[in-house]
Amino acid sequence: MSRPSHVRTRGRCLVFLCLAAWCGQAATAAEWASLKGRFVFDGTAPTPAAITADKDVEVCGKHKLVNEELVVSENGGLANVVIFVRSKKVTVHPDLADGSKADALVLDNKNCRFEPHVGFVQTGQTLTIKNSDPVGHNSNIATMKNSPSNSLIPSDGSADVTFSRDEAIPAAVTCNIHPWMKAYLVIRPNPYGAVSGADGSFVIENLPVGEELEFQLWHEKGGYLDEFTLGGKKADAKRGRIDFTVEAGGTDLGDIVVAGKAF
Amino acid sequence: MSACGSVSSQSGKNSPAVALEETSPGTSPRQRDRAIGGRGSTGLPWLLLAAMPLVAIGCGPTPAASFRLNMFEASQQRLKPSQEQQVATILAAMFGSPDEPVVLAETGLDEAKLQLAAGPVRSDIVGRKNGLYREHCAHCHGVTGDGMGPTAAFLNPYPRDYRPGVFKFKSTERADKPTHDDLVLVLRNGLAGSSMPSFDLLSESKIDALAEYVKYLSIRGEVELALMRAYFELDDEDQGKLPETREFLVEEILAPVAEAWQSAEDAVIDVPEMPADIDLVASIAKGKELFYGNKANCVKCHGVTGLGDGQANDYDDWNKVVLQAHKTVQGGLEQASKASTWEMDSDELSEHEADLVWLERFGKVLDGNALQPRMIRPRNLRQGIYRGGMRPLDLYYRIHAGINGAPMPAAKGTVPPEDIWHIVNYIRSLPYDFNGTLGVDRPMVARDRL
Repeated sequence: MSRPSHVRTRGRCLVFLCLAAWCGQAATAAEWASLKGRFVFDGTAPTPAAITADKDVEVCGKHKLVNEELVVSENGGLANVVIFVRSKKVTVHPDLADGSKADALVLDNKNCRFEPHVGFVQTGQTLTIKNSDPVGHNSNIATMKNSPSNSLIPSDGSADVTFSRDEAIPAAVTCNIHPWMKAYLVIRPNPYGAVSGADGSFVIENLPVGEELEFQLWHEKGGYLDEFTLGGKKADAKRGRIDFTVEAGGTDLGDIVVAGKAF
Repeated sequence: MSACGSVSSQSGKNSPAVALEETSPGTSPRQRDRAIGGRGSTGLPWLLLAAMPLVAIGCGPTPAASFRLNMFEASQQRLKPSQEQQVATILAAMFGSPDEPVVLAETGLDEAKLQLAAGPVRSDIVGRKNGLYREHCAHCHGVTGDGMGPTAAFLNPYPRDYRPGVFKFKSTERADKPTHDDLVLVLRNGLAGSSMPSFDLLSESKIDALAEYVKYLSIRGEVELALMRAYFELDDEDQGKLPETREFLVEEILAPVAEAWQSAEDAVIDVPEMPADIDLVASIAKGKELFYGNKANCVKCHGVTGLGDGQANDYDDWNKVVLQAHKTVQGGLEQASKASTWEMDSDELSEHEADLVWLERFGKVLDGNALQPRMIRPRNLRQGIYRGGMRPLDLYYRIHAGINGAPMPAAKGTVPPEDIWHIVNYIRSLPYDFNGTLGVDRPMVARDRL
C-alpha cells in the first residue's frame, strides 16, 4: 500500500525540482527567514524642539509635545527609519500576499499626536484611524496615486481606509485642526517592510531565503538614507537603495550607523 | 504662417496668455529655444531678423501656442533636461498641442468638442466662433490650465490649477472627480465670492465644450505629473528613461487617471431628502449644537462666531506644495552655505555642487512658475456667500464630503445624514443671526469685522 504513494511523492518532488531549476532563483524560496538590524545615529542628536499647542490648549497643552522628525534614544538608537523591499520581483510568502487578510494597522490620535509616527501598510491592508483624545481630530492623508482622504475622527470614533495602489513616496498624514500633528505612511505592494522602534531596531519576517533583494531606507528628516556604515564599512546605497540576501535561519545586519550630518 | 491677416494677428495680440508662455521668467532657455525653433520653420537667423520690424508693429509670424511644461514638478523630482524633454515628447504624442488637441480613446474625451474649445479665437462661419477656452478662460487659468494665466497673480483666490485633477465644488465623494454636470454648473453659475464669473450667456454646446476641455487639460496635467513622478521608481537598468511602450504609457499611467474621470458619474453622493415636515426652529437649534459639538467640530475652523476666524493659518493643497518647496530651497541653501567644503572628498564636493545648482534652479522656477503661497480662510458663514452654490443641497455635499484640496474634512460616516441637514439649516440661518450671543460679549455682525 505504502509503496505506490511513496513513488508518487518522489515523482512530484522530481517535477518540483525540475521546475525550481527551470524558474531559477525565484522558485528556490521554499524557505523563509527574517532580516533584522538596528539603526544607530552617529553623533550627538539635537534636543527635539518643543511644540506650542495653540489649539485645544486645555487638552493638548498638558502634553509635553515635541517635534518628532528626528527621534534618537539615549543609547543612540534611531527610531522611525523605514526599511522596505523595493524589488518588484520578490517572492512573497503565500500566507502574506493578500494584504486584506493582514491585521489592521492602527493609527491613533492620542495626546494630540499620531501614534505611531511612521507606519508601514501593505496595499489591501486596513488602516484604522482611531481617536483616543477627548477632542475631535481629522486625518488628512496626502497620497499621490491613491485617492486622498480626509475624515473627521471624533473622540472615540474611528475610520477605516484601504489603499489599492502602492506609493513611491511616503504619504504624509496631518490634522488640519491641530497643525503640528504629522505622521507618515509607507504604502507598499508586499508585506516586506518595517519601521525601526524606539531603540532603533527593526525586523522584517518571512523574507524569501537566498533571493537577492533591493531594499530602500527612508527617514522623515534624512530622506533616503545613503550615508551609513554596515559592520564598520561604508555602504553603497545610492538614493537609499541597497541589496541584501537573507540567509537560512535569518540575517542580522547588526548596527547600521547613520552619519549625523545626513539629517 | 507669417501672414499679416486679421485672424492671426488677433490671436497674437488678444491672447496675452500666449505671450506669457513665451517670455515667462524661469522658463528654461532650452524651452524658449524650442519655441523659437517652432515658429521659424526655415531656421535661418537672417529671416528672423528681417521679420523683426514686422513683429514690433504686431504683424508677422504668429507664435504657435504651446503647453508649458510643469517645471515645478520637474524641479521637485529633480529631473534631468533629457527627462524633461522625454515628458514633453510623450505628452505631445498623447495630447497634441493647444491648437491641435488629440486624445486617445481611453481618455473617454470627445475630440469634436475639444476642437470647438481649443485653438486661437477664430471664426470660419459668420456667427460661429471657435477657440472658446482662449477667449474665456486662458487669461486666468493659462493656456496649459496651470492656473497661471497673466491675471492669476492679481486674483484672490488664485484661479484653479487643473493639473493635479483636484476640484472642490462637486456632487461626488471627496476624493472623486467632479461629474461633467458639476463642471457645467460651475461654468453656468460661476463661483460666488471668487473671480470666477458666470458664463450662463454661452450656449449649451459651448459650455459643454468648455467643460470637456477642462477635463482634457486636467487629464493631461495628471498624466504629466504621473510621468514626472515615475522617474523616481525606475531601476538602474532603465538608465533614467521611461519605457515608451503602450503598456506603460496607456495602461499604467493614463488608464487610472481616465478611469477616475469616467467613474465620477457613478460616485454622486446619495442625499436623503430633508424631511418635509421638519421643524425648522428645532432643526436650527440641533444644528447649532452639532456645529459647536465635538463630533462635527465645525467651530474649530469656522470659529465661535462663525466668521471663519477659527483656524487661520492653514493652506490648501495647491499652495501647500509651493510653500513646502520654498522651505526646501531656503533650508537647502542655508545648509549648503554652512557646509565645510574643504573637508569634502571629490565625490562629496561634486554632489554638493550639483545640489547647489539644483537648489538655485528650483528657486528660479518658484519665482517664475509658481504663485506666492497664500493662506486659505475658512468660509465666513455670516455672509451667505458660498462658492460652491447656495442651494441646501450644495451645502449638504460640502459637509458630507468635505472639500477636496482644502482642509475641510468629510463628515461622512461621523455625522449621520439627518444631522447634516440640521447643520445645513443652522448655517443657512447664520447670516440672519444678528444678536450674536455666540460666546462673545458684544453684538457681532459680519460687516463689523470686514
